[in-house]
Amino acid sequence: MSPGLVQMMRLWRDVLRGPVTFISLLIVLFIAGIALAAPYLGLPPPEVLGDELYAPPSAEHWMGTDNNGRDVLSRVIWGARLALFVAVGSAVLATLIGIVLGSVAGYFGGWLDAIMSRTFDVFLVIPAFFLVLLIAALFGSSITLIMIAIAITTWPRSARIMRSQVLSLKNRTYVQASLSAGASHSQVLMQHIIPNGLPPLVTDATLLMGLAVLTEAGLSFLGLGDQNTVSWGRMIFEGQRHLRLAPWISIFPGIAMLIMIAAFNLLGDGLNQILNPQLRPRKRAGRIVTGFADDVPLVAALEPAEDDLLAVRNLRMYYQLEGEWLKAVDGVTFGVPRGGSLGIVGESGCGKSSLGAALMQVLPTNARVVAGEVRFDGRTVLDVTSPAAAAFQSVRWTGMSMIFQSAMNALNPVLTVERQLREAYLLHSPDAGAAAARARIGELFDTVGIPRQRMSAYPHELSGGMRQRVMIALALLHNPALIIADEPTTALDVLIQDQILAEIDRLKEQLNLSMILISHDLGTVAESCERVAVMYAGEIVELAPTEEIFSNPRHPYTRSLIATLPNLFGPRRELVALPGEPFVPVGEMVGCRFAPRCPSAADICRSAAPASRIVGPGHQSACHFADDAERLSATRPLIGAAS
Amino acid sequence: MRIRRYIILRLLQFVPVVLAVIVINFVLIHLAPGDVAITLAGEDADPAYIEHIREVYGLNRPLHEQLFSYLGQVLQGDLGTSFRSREPVMDEILRRVPATLLLVGAALFISVVLGTAIGTLVASRPGSSIDTVASTIAIALYSIPVFWLGLMLVLLFAVELRWFPTSGMFSLIGPRDPVGRSLDIAYHLVLPMLALSTVWIGQYLRLARTAVVQVLNEPYITTARAIGFSSRRVLLHYALRNAMLPIVTVLGLQIGLLLTGAVLTETVFSWPGLGRLIYEAILTRDTPLIMGAYVMMSIMVALASLVADLVYAYLDPRVVL
Repeated sequence: MSPGLVQMMRLWRDVLRGPVTFISLLIVLFIAGIALAAPYLGLPPPEVLGDELYAPPSAEHWMGTDNNGRDVLSRVIWGARLALFVAVGSAVLATLIGIVLGSVAGYFGGWLDAIMSRTFDVFLVIPAFFLVLLIAALFGSSITLIMIAIAITTWPRSARIMRSQVLSLKNRTYVQASLSAGASHSQVLMQHIIPNGLPPLVTDATLLMGLAVLTEAGLSFLGLGDQNTVSWGRMIFEGQRHLRLAPWISIFPGIAMLIMIAAFNLLGDGLNQILNPQLRPRKRAGRIVTGFADDVPLVAALEPAEDDLLAVRNLRMYYQLEGEWLKAVDGVTFGVPRGGSLGIVGESGCGKSSLGAALMQVLPTNARVVAGEVRFDGRTVLDVTSPAAAAFQSVRWTGMSMIFQSAMNALNPVLTVERQLREAYLLHSPDAGAAAARARIGELFDTVGIPRQRMSAYPHELSGGMRQRVMIALALLHNPALIIADEPTTALDVLIQDQILAEIDRLKEQLNLSMILISHDLGTVAESCERVAVMYAGEIVELAPTEEIFSNPRHPYTRSLIATLPNLFGPRRELVALPGEPFVPVGEMVGCRFAPRCPSAADICRSAAPASRIVGPGHQSACHFADDAERLSATRPLIGAAS
Repeated sequence: MRIRRYIILRLLQFVPVVLAVIVINFVLIHLAPGDVAITLAGEDADPAYIEHIREVYGLNRPLHEQLFSYLGQVLQGDLGTSFRSREPVMDEILRRVPATLLLVGAALFISVVLGTAIGTLVASRPGSSIDTVASTIAIALYSIPVFWLGLMLVLLFAVELRWFPTSGMFSLIGPRDPVGRSLDIAYHLVLPMLALSTVWIGQYLRLARTAVVQVLNEPYITTARAIGFSSRRVLLHYALRNAMLPIVTVLGLQIGLLLTGAVLTETVFSWPGLGRLIYEAILTRDTPLIMGAYVMMSIMVALASLVADLVYAYLDPRVVL
């Protein structure tokens, strides 16, 4: 089956799921059915004059009669025929013109594309309705002509969509393969490109249909419609003179039109959302979430110490997916001593960034902290059993702050960096004036090594490294005791990465900061953290002092992570990525979450979840074979073939 | 300096657009069946008189000559003389612009402000039932044929309740003093403005909602929340400002669509604006007036997109003109 066909079938399946889209489709089909069946419904002919003029709606005439005694219901239904004809006709015609011109422009490119794209743009600027108006007024107003006129003024929309579809499709492998197999350009266009580029055009054609009905009705309302057919717009045009006497003449065709156009628009909108899932809103997680606190009675081997600056116990943060919970952080316990540093490592998707977000309490709308307790400086700042959101506000950014990944727009692009820092400063020191804020920002710029005159720059005017320094300055604004750095150097180039890490290290020493460094790179963490927590599928699988992690790893996952590191001094070997996909913690789980990828897995691993246990001083591991160093080292770490 | 250069460049880009509009209209008008001279002189006019009319209006010259002489006129800012009123087309158009500007401006203001406000509120709870309901209603609103809604408003508020006048822009025997006159106009403005803004509001609601939902997923919003800005401040101060950007773009692109709504509304309410003028010109085949109105309209559309781009550049420092 061609990819286009598969996409169409998926589309169909999704249409059946969304209630609004499905109902709109039913309405469109219903109107189409009635319109097609109009001659067979036993209605009085729409144009035959009756004796009863201006009869209000009654059992005999459901929608009353008009000034000529004609049955309004019959005219509304016959009007649907015309509306449908105009809608389908002009949308199909416009889409066909658009497909041909758009694919020619996109496929052949070059000057041809340049000229054609400009033409599409010019047409888009001309107010379409007035052009149709002019054509109808000048050339007489047969319904076919109106249909063509609407198509002529609306095709550039389809042409533009088709052009961009072709641009993205023409470099696909199967297209190139077919070309090199000797297929002609027109064959390739007809067989591979156009069919696969169609879905967004179908969506837009639906919207075009609504527009066409509206345009035809507008024309008829101005008295420029086809005089020989029954049109909703013309009914309203004729009815407005009798508005006082017989309002039903104009009310009913308007309602019919509203229903039909709305159905087209809702259908088009629904199809659009199905084709572009990123437009679809994420469901918000319910406010009250219970029953997770004792999901698995989790016993952490190492409890946080009494005087730790940050103490986290059994923290669980879940995302709500379609009817299921994704357990991004699932029972995490650890402590960070004053002035100490903890690295959190794992592949992407292991839950480490979710953990950072949960600690900072900036959850996405579809996420909830469902269990756990966080204490900061001896005070409870998060406790699910007694929800007091205000508790965290007293330490937010003043006691605990965060460095975000800068490459991902962590600074507001439309405000200068000074303004962002100033607003953040004044938020927590409302009594300090603008001068004090400016002084503090200047001081911080000196600290992180940015020239003061760069204060008035916008984020996009700074280099990646500079932006990251601004981010660090922002985090230091209120002299916090703890900073969480979430991938602070990802997406920076290697030299800058080292500079930023060295900067963070220096500041940590100088200001006696505590630090949580979240990274996918064990090497990064090794350089600047005293302890390392390795996360997998929402759990901390191993936690140990940094040297211990490297010299004596007690979890197969940690061993695999170490094996992927480049080694400057050891024997030369190929760098590899971990094979297999990270485990996605959804639904009921049995056994060890790493078992499916684990080289040392035995039967017990697939039937019982391993509890974490102490395997050395300050060293815990959650593996059934954590004590069996021989078994762990006997099997090769998980290394995929370099591909 | 750079902005001035940008504006000049953009204005130069209008030239082919306006040219295309002129040529398309010119060709359409002259290809159309029927003889303009006969229309002008009247069906039963004396053949000699018809010939005279042809002579006077240059209708007997070859098409391309007529086109070039017209283009030459337009370049000098002369849009010709209306067949019907014998007045300069430019004067006729300029006289009608204020009424349209008032109607479209007032309706646009209301729909943009209200639509953006509601859209922003809805966007803070995406996927909720309020969101679904608001989005569906928004689509239903912009599916309403504006002329029909106008009639229904007249029926309800003018005919039945007698709260507002049925049509026109002034009372026949209205107050003469400026304040009284303004109030009188405002009184007449209510219904047409209500009709237009009801239909338009849905679109801005949807736009604002989509834009704000997208902005709220941006990392810098997470940063602002982490710092501790209240959700209200994040929404109004950070998200809305960034979400204004797509709204400005669309506003600039849709002036043509707005004028469409205006011509239909002006017809229903006999509002003496540009839309009605064009409609009357088309019905009476007042060729110079039709051409002039289309030229002015395409210039307005192009200017609107230029203004939108300038506003965009002002709002978003990343855009360099």
